[in-house]
Amino acid sequence: MDEEEEQRQGVWSWGAGTDGQLATGSLQDEIIPRFIRSLSAYGPIVSLSCGGAHVIALTPGGRVLTWGRGTSGQLGHGESVSSSQANVVKELEGFVITHVSAGWNHSGFVSETGAIFTCGDGSFGQLGHGDSNSQLYPRQVAYFASKPVEQVACGMRHTLVLLAGNVEHPVYGFGSGKRGQLGISTDNVKSTSLPQITLGLENLKIISIHANGDHSSALSADGSLYTWGRGFRGALDTYIPCLSDVAFPVSKVALGWNHALLLSREGDVFMLGGDRHGALSDPQKMPSTADTSSSAGEPEENITQIISGPANVKVVQIAAGAEHSAFITDNGSIMTLGWGEHGQLGLGDTNDQTAPQVVCLDRISAWGDATPRVYCGSGFSFVLMTRI
Amino acid sequence: MSYDDVEIEDMEWNQELQAFTYPCPCGDLFQITKEDLRLGEEIARCPSCSLYLTVIYNMEDFQENSNKKAEPPKPQPVAVA
Ligand SMILES: [Zn+2]
Repeated sequence: MDEEEEQRQGVWSWGAGTDGQLATGSLQDEIIPRFIRSLSAYGPIVSLSCGGAHVIALTPGGRVLTWGRGTSGQLGHGESVSSSQANVVKELEGFVITHVSAGWNHSGFVSETGAIFTCGDGSFGQLGHGDSNSQLYPRQVAYFASKPVEQVACGMRHTLVLLAGNVEHPVYGFGSGKRGQLGISTDNVKSTSLPQITLGLENLKIISIHANGDHSSALSADGSLYTWGRGFRGALDTYIPCLSDVAFPVSKVALGWNHALLLSREGDVFMLGGDRHGALSDPQKMPSTADTSSSAGEPEENITQIISGPANVKVVQIAAGAEHSAFITDNGSIMTLGWGEHGQLGLGDTNDQTAPQVVCLDRISAWGDATPRVYCGSGFSFVLMTRI
Repeated sequence: MSYDDVEIEDMEWNQELQAFTYPCPCGDLFQITKEDLRLGEEIARCPSCSLYLTVIYNMEDFQENSNKKAEPPKPQPVAVA
């Protein structure tokens, strides 16, 4: 890549690295953000999706790069090997990919024309091809051939799909449904390898879908949040999407394995569940976050405000790993909290944090006032800074 | 404190590791061997971190004198379309 490209984007990664997911070229954990030379020869990366131990990157022209754990074929290169360096997914080169999602060990890709492709572990039917085979190359999900897709969200063992346009049934699910994460039936459906309609979202304008662990959620255009799957904080599992009792319009959602982060339109961050967030390594230390007041109408005190914007600081972006969380504030700070055993908080140690801490990046001054973007995989994190 | 409780039928048999596994939030896998289960062990550990799982299973299913093969039912993806 030429020097100009290199200067347009800075990439940092930290946390668990044993599968090459940090793209540092090594398999070591990093406890402080490690600067990586630009990953892309195709221009600055537009967005990332981080999974169990692999990463999918989108380039400006709709190309796809992957790296990290590839043992189930989730990198889409036709083999089941891991890579600590970014490689373009050649099988998708004829398509302009606009949306991607990395699950625990599987991957989803959506093209500009609404086609959806999946690869990786298919043991639970999470690839949607009607079987439980794994795929080493991205394979188009035939079920959606005549239903254009807009987004895909890959969880631990399940996949959600959001259709494009205004349709009666906007969301579909496939893969494991053991905890209700597909939302396809009030009965306990163990799994389905063919897409089925997620109930309870009829005629809603859904703008984003999310999956991680055994959790699922969807956000509607008016800021209503629907959740289904594994219950938060020991609550019962939900088999049909349920309107979340949140007292404010939600603008962004990020799911972990035991918590959900909600960003309000005012720039405040709330956490659903996560009663052991930041206290996994040391159970004595239960979260005593900045403000533990529950929001109105939540008798179980299931919602905690974790960043209450001090006067003029607002959060603009959120990301959730399995057991950690990251935010970007409008003054460009990167903050993390949660489980830190692999250095995934990027604070220079392996401690847990129950309250947000500021992450320092080296060489950051070179990117001036560019706004960072943060992405979290199960036990690791990435930051992109792009000069406009 | 156990990270989670998981039923043996939700764990996957990993031929390479010769162990039942379940995803760990660190990115690695919680693991427990058939021998562990025979001995009544109910903790599955992750080789990469300090977390552990509690495995819920019926010990009789893993006794040597049991005629049954000590394999849990594999997840059977059923298409109900
Ligand atoms: Zn682990």
